[in-house]
This record gives sequence, C-alpha cells and structure tokens, in this order.
Amino acid sequence: MNENPTNHFEEELRRRLRPVEAPEGFTDRLMAALPAQQKPVVVPFTPRVARPFSAARQFGMPAALAASLMVAVLLGVQVSKDRAHDEEVARVEEQKGIAASRELMQALRVTSQKLDLAYEAVNSPPAAGDEENRS
Amino acid sequence: MNARIGFVIAALMLSGPAWAAAKGQLQIPEFAALAEKANESVTVTLDANLLGMAARFLSNEDPEQAKAKKLVSSLTGIYVRNYSFDSDYAYPKADIEGVRRQLNAPGWSRIVGVVSKKEHSNVEVFILADGNKAQGLAIIASEPREFTIVNIVGNIDLEQLHDLEGNFGVPDLDIETPQKPAAKPPAAAKPSAAETTK
Repeated sequence: MNENPTNHFEEELRRRLRPVEAPEGFTDRLMAALPAQQKPVVVPFTPRVARPFSAARQFGMPAALAASLMVAVLLGVQVSKDRAHDEEVARVEEQKGIAASRELMQALRVTSQKLDLAYEAVNSPPAAGDEENRS
Repeated sequence: MNARIGFVIAALMLSGPAWAAAKGQLQIPEFAALAEKANESVTVTLDANLLGMAARFLSNEDPEQAKAKKLVSSLTGIYVRNYSFDSDYAYPKADIEGVRRQLNAPGWSRIVGVVSKKEHSNVEVFILADGNKAQGLAIIASEPREFTIVNIVGNIDLEQLHDLEGNFGVPDLDIETPQKPAAKPPAAAKPSAAETTK
C-alpha cells in the first residue's frame, strides 16, 4: 500500500480541527463570571481645532529645505566672496611689496650715488686754483 | 588723581619728539610743489612695515638684492627725496636748511662734508651714533640743478655700511668703525669729520 504523506497530514489536520462540543455547564459558568451589568467604555473625543498656521505646518518641511538650500547657496557665495577678497588682498599686498622693493633698491642706488659723490670729492686731488681745507 | 593724569599728560607732551618719531628719523618735508617743478624726482618713504614687505620680495639669488635684504633687516626706515631741475637753484634752500638744522641735535655727527666751489655742489654725510652702532644716517647733497636728502633709520652696523659700499656702485668711503681705529690708513675721511672745500 502506497500511503501518501500529504493525505495523512490532511486527515490529521481535519481530526485536530474538528468542532468540539463545549463541556457541560461551560456557558453557565462563563455567564456567571461576567459582571452583572457591563459599563460601556467611554473614549474621550476632542475635536481637532483648526490651527491658524496649518498652511505653514503643511509647507514647513519644504520651506525648511528651501531655507537650508538658500543658506547653503548664500554661504557658498560668501565663501566665494571671502576667497576672492583674500586673493585680492594677497594680490594688492604682492603689488605693494614689489613696489616697495623697487623703491628700496632705487633708494639704495640714490644713497650710493651720493656717497660716491662724497667719496670722489674727498679723494680726488683739488683742482688748481681751488681752495682746499681739510679737517 | 587729576594731578597724576596731568603729570602723565605733561610728561607725554614733553617727550613728544621721542615717541612721535623713531630715533634717527628726520622730519623731511614732502616737497610736493617741487615734485611738480622737477623734471625728475625720486620720493621714497619706506617705514618699518614697508621695509619688511619689500624685503620679502627681494631675491636671494640676485647678489645686489641679497645684500640689500641683509642690510634692511635691521633698519626701521628709509626716506629719500631727490629732485632734478632744468634750471639752476629752482629749489628753496630754506627747506634744506630746515633739515640740516635737525642734524645739529645731540648725537648727530657730520662724518663727511664736501663743498665744491667749482661745481657749486655740497655733500654732507651725517651719522647718529650710539656706541658702536649708528642709529641713523643722513645725506644732504645739493647741486645747482639737483638736491637730495637721504635718511636711513635703524641699527646701521658700520660693517654693513662698508658692505653697502661697493655693492651699489659705491667704493669704500674709508669710514672707520670704533672697534677698529687702525684698520684703515688715515685717509681723507674720518669718523669725526672729513671736510673738503674745492
């Protein structure tokens, strides 16, 4: 005999799920255990009040996102401006420095020329007819 | 309390020149009117900040700039006024005298004074000495068509001044340092004074 395990399982399931009669007196015991008068459960109901800024609440998240985006954009613009300003300051400083170094070299050359003039005058022999007075 | 404040104010007023200008710095006029009259002018005003800035842009590769960088490291100011004119004595001598009067102050010594009657030129070199260090250098050079005022302020080491000489087309002026009085033969210029009238 070829017994199908599926059939066996179905039969077992049917047997277990068959309606079973309640024990005698079960209904009476159950009814006796219940309170004489059941109080209804009262659920408080508070009607929702329409808030004045409901629109704001509704659009709060998009507005916050938009504001964040705007802040990010503004911050980006500011950072960009700051960077441009720093670069401009550095460029101006560099120009000033280069101009100052040129002036410095020019000043030293003028100083040298005049010291040279003094040297030549001190060391060259006096011309004929010129007065000479060294001290 | 009021007396104390008054005393502090009076002390500050009395010591005005000391804090108003660095030691060795001359009050040089701007000569703005002369700059317009001059056919060539050099006006250099470099305070300590600008000198520091200038030094950063001097190359260590270029020997002349490297020397200048070393020289200015101890300086606090360089002021030059140089004007050339097309005609004789187009500049007011009174302004130059005003600067020269400041060099009569204690501490300043004229180390070179050259008056050439032939060329009508006058070159004077002054040093404000403080021990072995020069705190200031001033040059006043006047010719019929040109005048120059140079004021270098700061710790000018005379050795460095020697170093400057010959590096910018200037030969050794034979300026002796106090530590080495016999280092050079007694030539025309002396630390005290060398004056020539031609």
